[in-house]
Amino acid sequence: MAERSTGYADAVAAVARAEGNLDVVSDELFRVARALEGSDELRMTLSDRQIPAARRQQIVEDLLGGRASETTTAVVSMIVAAGRSSDLGGIAREAVEINARDRGRSVAEVRTAVALADGQAERMAAALGAATGHQVDIKVVVDPSIMGGVVATIGDEVIDGSVRHRLSQLRDSF
Amino acid sequence: MSKRLWAAAAVVVAAVALSASAAGAAGETVGSCIFDELGEAQFEGIEGDGFTAVKELKTQYKAGDKHAKELKEDFEKDLEGCLEAPNPIIPEVTEIIWGGAAFVVLLALMKWKLFPVVKNLMEQRTQRIQDSLDDADRERAEAAEVRARYEAELADAKAEAARLVDEARDQAASVRADLQSRAEADIADMRERAAADVEASKRQAIADLQSEVSDIALGAAEAVLGRSLEDPEMQRQLVDDYIARVGADQG
Repeated sequence: MAERSTGYADAVAAVARAEGNLDVVSDELFRVARALEGSDELRMTLSDRQIPAARRQQIVEDLLGGRASETTTAVVSMIVAAGRSSDLGGIAREAVEINARDRGRSVAEVRTAVALADGQAERMAAALGAATGHQVDIKVVVDPSIMGGVVATIGDEVIDGSVRHRLSQLRDSF
Repeated sequence: MSKRLWAAAAVVVAAVALSASAAGAAGETVGSCIFDELGEAQFEGIEGDGFTAVKELKTQYKAGDKHAKELKEDFEKDLEGCLEAPNPIIPEVTEIIWGGAAFVVLLALMKWKLFPVVKNLMEQRTQRIQDSLDDADRERAEAAEVRARYEAELADAKAEAARLVDEARDQAASVRADLQSRAEADIADMRERAAADVEASKRQAIADLQSEVSDIALGAAEAVLGRSLEDPEMQRQLVDDYIARVGADQG
């Protein structure tokens, strides 16, 4: 599945590069994937093969039309029509990675309980860049389940500073 | 047997003949004996015989004649001889002779006719008795043999019974020892398991208690944190702390 996601991501990156907006497409694709993860109803609807592909594509276009670039909308529509909507999260992460590599940077997925305040994203990127030794693009995911703090994932490395993690450590210490 | 019988008969006949007396042999009564003595009496120096001579002797004796006194005493002894009883056993000689002859004839006849029959009967009886004795001996021997065999079998049976009893006793002892050891092992195992169960229950109770305590403590902490985390400033502070810590750790 990872190999298939990588293939789709390469194709998406190739299209976006051709359109000259890989940076935008990768970011929008990441946001769409996060939105899909947050809505079970939408995810099930787009994954339902009983629904005609044209109808699913129409849903995508209705949702993204005017809110995302045409390239992003077309790419998401193509993925949903191919019946790979469940792989959209992996494809988006791979696309973000490809975009970052193109610019000589790394990608950090940063999960927070609430949206970052002004300036926190830049300071976060700087701190993680200092920690990894190279420049980092951060992709923020709002995840209330972590209760508070931050969980940063850079490649295979996870830096967990969430309240949920600390409570888990406290529970284990008992 | 036959010779001894003839010898005994001869001895009896001789004894009878030798012991026979004159008076006894006469076979007369005391009265006739005295009468005969009186009738035939003759005395030396006295005339006459018979009753006359006795009467004359009495006269002379009463007259005090010493010779008459001696004659009188001798005559009295002769008269007293009439008082001697005839031999109740010994018969007269003639009777002995005739009796002996008849006895001999009868004995000859018996020996010739009766003794062989009697002997034959006796021999048959002896043979029967002997056969009976032999049978009795044989039966006794057989009984003894049967008894010996029975006693041997009885001894064997007793020995076998004793062996079985010993074997049963040994088996019972073995079974008892086995059961006892197994029971002791089971008891030890049960005690060990009970101790393990108690220890496990204790540990589980402690773990449950700790879990309960931690749940309560964590619940309280989460409640407190939940209220604190509703504050945006608190959330911002947590992110800032994270950024500072990551930067400090890696810097």
